[in-house]
Amino acid sequence: MEALGDLARGFEVALTPENLLWALIGVLLGTAVGVLPGIGPALTVALLLPVTYRLEPVSAFIMFAGIYYGGMYGGSTTSILLNTPGESASIVTALEGNLMAKKGRGAAALATAAIGSFVAGTVATIGLTFLAPVMVQIGLKFGPAEYFALVVLAFTTITALLGSSVARGMLSLFFGLALGLIGIDTLSGQSRFTLGIPQLLDGIDVVTVAVGLFAVGETFWVASRMRHDPDQIIPVKGTIWMTRQEWARSWKPWLRGTALGFPIGSLPAGGAEIPTFLSYAMEKRLSKHPEEFGHGAIEGVAGPEAANNASAAGVLAPLLTLGLPTSATAAILLAAFQRYGLNPGPTLFRQDPDLVWGLIASLYIGNVMLLVLNLPLAGVWVRLLAIPRPLLYAAILVFAGLGTYGLSGSTVDLVVLYLLGALGFVMRRFDIPVAPAVVGVILGPVAEDHFRRALQIAQGNYTTFITRPISAAILVLAAIALVAPPAFRWWQAKRQRPQSTSPTSARIT
Amino acid sequence: MTPTPWSRRINIGEMLLALGTVVFGVLIIWQTTLIRLTPAYSMVGPRVIPYIVGAGLVIVGAWLAYEALTGRAPVGSTDSEDADPTLPTDWRTVGLLVLALIAYLFLIEPAGFIIASATLFVGAAFAMGSRRTARDIAIGIVMATVLYIGFNRGLGLSLPAGILEGIV
Repeated sequence: MEALGDLARGFEVALTPENLLWALIGVLLGTAVGVLPGIGPALTVALLLPVTYRLEPVSAFIMFAGIYYGGMYGGSTTSILLNTPGESASIVTALEGNLMAKKGRGAAALATAAIGSFVAGTVATIGLTFLAPVMVQIGLKFGPAEYFALVVLAFTTITALLGSSVARGMLSLFFGLALGLIGIDTLSGQSRFTLGIPQLLDGIDVVTVAVGLFAVGETFWVASRMRHDPDQIIPVKGTIWMTRQEWARSWKPWLRGTALGFPIGSLPAGGAEIPTFLSYAMEKRLSKHPEEFGHGAIEGVAGPEAANNASAAGVLAPLLTLGLPTSATAAILLAAFQRYGLNPGPTLFRQDPDLVWGLIASLYIGNVMLLVLNLPLAGVWVRLLAIPRPLLYAAILVFAGLGTYGLSGSTVDLVVLYLLGALGFVMRRFDIPVAPAVVGVILGPVAEDHFRRALQIAQGNYTTFITRPISAAILVLAAIALVAPPAFRWWQAKRQRPQSTSPTSARIT
Repeated sequence: MTPTPWSRRINIGEMLLALGTVVFGVLIIWQTTLIRLTPAYSMVGPRVIPYIVGAGLVIVGAWLAYEALTGRAPVGSTDSEDADPTLPTDWRTVGLLVLALIAYLFLIEPAGFIIASATLFVGAAFAMGSRRTARDIAIGIVMATVLYIGFNRGLGLSLPAGILEGIV
């Protein structure tokens, strides 16, 4: 069990007082942004990228991982008490959780969500501990053609899963890819799409794109049509301790949710949304009380919450072992690695085991911290929602300016930020998801690099991508990912005409 | 979240979106032809992927146009926690917000980070409906100062001091 030895070393790194402090800061920030509207873990990590100037990589990633996990916990709190999922992966939690809260069982819903998240997060981190070395071995066998195919797979799944139509997801993705092309081509040294503006030679920074589309775009969107009848927060009533019966009804959904979430999350095509929908459907089918679904069934909170946290841990597997992000937050984490000049993938495990295993060890610690912070304190976190919206969004704009100008010290970047914010507004107007664009900006250059290196090895023979069996198989999967959801929707619509209740459009902030 | 309604009518906005996408793709292809090729570098040059991206945009644009013309385009806007997608655009608020951002752009280097950020905070809060301006000014100044000191001293950024040079 080599992994256990590595993990022990990781704990030595993560348990230093300094790194424990960074983990605590991370989970506190993460829970806060999970609760707050308009800002989520992806954006928060993007805004904090300036810390990479000073901070040791391992401390920075321990904090970022805390933000990532904390966002998942915080998102479920608002779903249950406010019926507004802060994260797309919490949409399903809102279905039953909010109904439970309305029936005065909000405390039980929060408890099953927090404990389920803890169980799932811990079990999935154990899974990650043992799966990562295996994936590293597989990753070592892959060549550029296979890596290119994997990136294509990530593109198509992210595109097909988010937003109201595949065409819109593709538009967002290609827009991101186009932005990613700006600047000097690393392989040939030629400048591309710089329009003669010298500041564009270095390309458009990922932070500018993420902050512009997510934060400035969302602020414009909210400003243009502010909700004047905000949802009512349901006060937490009752004890946080679940009854015996609630425990009995929760533990199996937790484990089943974990079993769904971790494998799907760790696939190079995963994401956190699908397992939550699957878990909900599964619990509804297996429940001894199916009549309670739609009226606040505890299984409908326990399962999906476990699934979403397990998949969050799963997403780190392809990110760390293959350098392949499958969610917006993971994509920003990849950008953070790039800023340190690090390339996640098989070689990172060999070159910098302290970083990788310290990060994995910190996930165990972060989960414990989050359980302690969320179980008794959910009511306190919800008070964050009392911040007046004008002040919240004004502060988001200040942080957006800080994150962008602080990194480059260039007002040109601020202009680009505002233009991207305007585009983010237009995209929301047309219901175009912004996450694929952010993923495109980050992964586009990675994809081009693999693509061209693969063709160099193959002497310019383009069939290399389909004659190498693994690459061909992955590309077939990518095509299926693109065609399957619309086909499934069409089949569903044909089967049962008007009633389609599944929430199809998701949003990530 | 309710399922997106499917409209039968052809939507002008949708057609503009499709057209804009095609134009953007064509612009990319045109700009790609201007990328210089180095003869020493033969196998796969810097133009290949840009051509693919440009062509992809043209295809997506055509696809959007097809959806709009056949009434398949989902008509609606992104649902959001604080935004009501059914409301019309409130251009006054957006306009005030743009003014606050422009003020930030022109203040950050001459006047410094603290003044620019406090101005942006107060302006944006006012634009979005906050009328307790004295409170907002106080919060804005404190927040901007804390951020300035924290990021410059703690993280080694060099945010501009501007006219407050020597004071903070």
